[in-house]
Amino acid sequence: MSDQVSREGREPAPSGAVAATSRGAVRSMGTLGVTLIRFAIIVGFFALWQIASGRWIEPFLISSPSRIFTSLISGFREGDLIQHTWVTFQEIAIGFPIGAISGIGLGYAFGRSRILAEIFEPIIVALNGIPRTAVAPLFIVWLGIGLWSKVGVVFLLTFFLNFFITYTGMRQMDQEYIDLARLMRVKGWKLTFKVIFPAISPYLFTGIRTSIPFAVIGAIVGEFVASTEGVGFFIRMSAGIFKTADVFVGIIVLMIMVIVLDKIAEMIEKRALRWQTQTEHIQIQA
Amino acid sequence: MPDLAPAAANTTQDLSDLVIRVENVSKVFHTPSQPNLGALSDIELNIRPGEFVTVVGPSGCGKSTLLKLIAGFSPPSAGRILFQGKEVRGLNTEVGYVPQESKLFPWLTVEENVGFGLDSNRFSRADRERQVSQFINLAGLTGFEKYYPAQLSGGMSKRASIVRALAYEPPVILMDEPFGPLDAQTRMVLQDELLKIWEQKRQTIVFVTHDLVEAVALADHVVVMTHRPGKIKDIIKVSMARPRNIFEIHRQEGFDEAYGRLWNIFRHELNIGAH
Repeated sequence: MSDQVSREGREPAPSGAVAATSRGAVRSMGTLGVTLIRFAIIVGFFALWQIASGRWIEPFLISSPSRIFTSLISGFREGDLIQHTWVTFQEIAIGFPIGAISGIGLGYAFGRSRILAEIFEPIIVALNGIPRTAVAPLFIVWLGIGLWSKVGVVFLLTFFLNFFITYTGMRQMDQEYIDLARLMRVKGWKLTFKVIFPAISPYLFTGIRTSIPFAVIGAIVGEFVASTEGVGFFIRMSAGIFKTADVFVGIIVLMIMVIVLDKIAEMIEKRALRWQTQTEHIQIQA
Repeated sequence: MPDLAPAAANTTQDLSDLVIRVENVSKVFHTPSQPNLGALSDIELNIRPGEFVTVVGPSGCGKSTLLKLIAGFSPPSAGRILFQGKEVRGLNTEVGYVPQESKLFPWLTVEENVGFGLDSNRFSRADRERQVSQFINLAGLTGFEKYYPAQLSGGMSKRASIVRALAYEPPVILMDEPFGPLDAQTRMVLQDELLKIWEQKRQTIVFVTHDLVEAVALADHVVVMTHRPGKIKDIIKVSMARPRNIFEIHRQEGFDEAYGRLWNIFRHELNIGAH
């Protein structure tokens, strides 16, 4: 009997291992080629840009990689770019978590309460129909031209995305998990945090990661409308006086901000969803 | 067929020590395509503590529905279900449930899954750990405590799913075709292990299956159900000695007799239900 147990357990291992090796080999061979091609494209693009600037196209239109690099260095050295970056970061650091958490919270509440969902769903859908950046000027009127109006726009953009994705997750959740847990007398906070949130966590992370670029858009749009500092302000001012290199500097800063935030979210996601990503097979010792 | 005992046979016994009593229960589903889909019709069933009862019937005969009603996932359309003398209203937290698919919580490790029903009010930390490791051991999963369900084979998930329901010691375990999708060898091994665990713990088990051999091999009583809407056709007493040897169940005294009676009923059913 014991060898039957082990046979049953061992069975998946060889096929899984073989598949993993051959797939891994293909991937590692492909990765090098892919990296090289990608690198060549990037280098070629910047080289072409550098050559075109001043020869075929006016530098004030497209600047050039070398000028942008110099501006980036001097911008940070003189300190005002750091200040602008810090301001924009603050707007996101406050607006994004509040927006994400309240979006997730409401999505969860809608998923649990049919009455709530039935009453408010059409209203939320209608509100979602408003182009949210169009509301930005109102936030300036309500909250002034400082930090809080931008926090408001960031909040608005992150809230709806997180709400809809969380709510979708709640509706797709496997009822049997909840039934089983409740049969085991699990309820209240334990049901919420040990069953429901883990079950929908892939959705939560999708919502959070999708909304990161939108949070940055929110901050910039807010700053475009009215502001005295921030990366959006820096971009608008630079464009106004045709300092094209600085416009690109601002764009690069925003790009890096999105990438860094996404990487942080990705790290947390990998850790939180490690139960999902593990695919290695096990072997039972005979 | 000397003893084609009607369903009422075991209702004549003393009702006071019953753990489950199903009284005239019917269940009708209302779906958009079929507004009056009868799943169960007039079910009468009594189950005594410590019994191993299997329920067999053709697919779609309402076997699973019956289990779900006993678990209180949904109410019966007519009749009532008594659990230890009290009517089941809402979720019946006195039963453990092993679903068709293992349905382990994929975000919890084997250990956390098995310990999930052991709440801190009833079990101290030390008791909990002891209980979890004892049941993991019973399931032959020692060494896999920290594994996630996605890393387990089908048979291992099944075993973990079963001991998850056993570990918090509900007086009754409901099992809905738990070995259905497994290959024949694995099934036998798991049937054997289930009987061994049951012989130690002696909970009441209600076990739904469509496999006649499995039904006879495991049970004290086999409940035979008919096509939809499901009715109880007969209840067969299996008087094979315990402990039983699953691997040579055909040679055991009493198997042929019980299986023969079951097959006779089923042959009749198949003729009716043949399409």
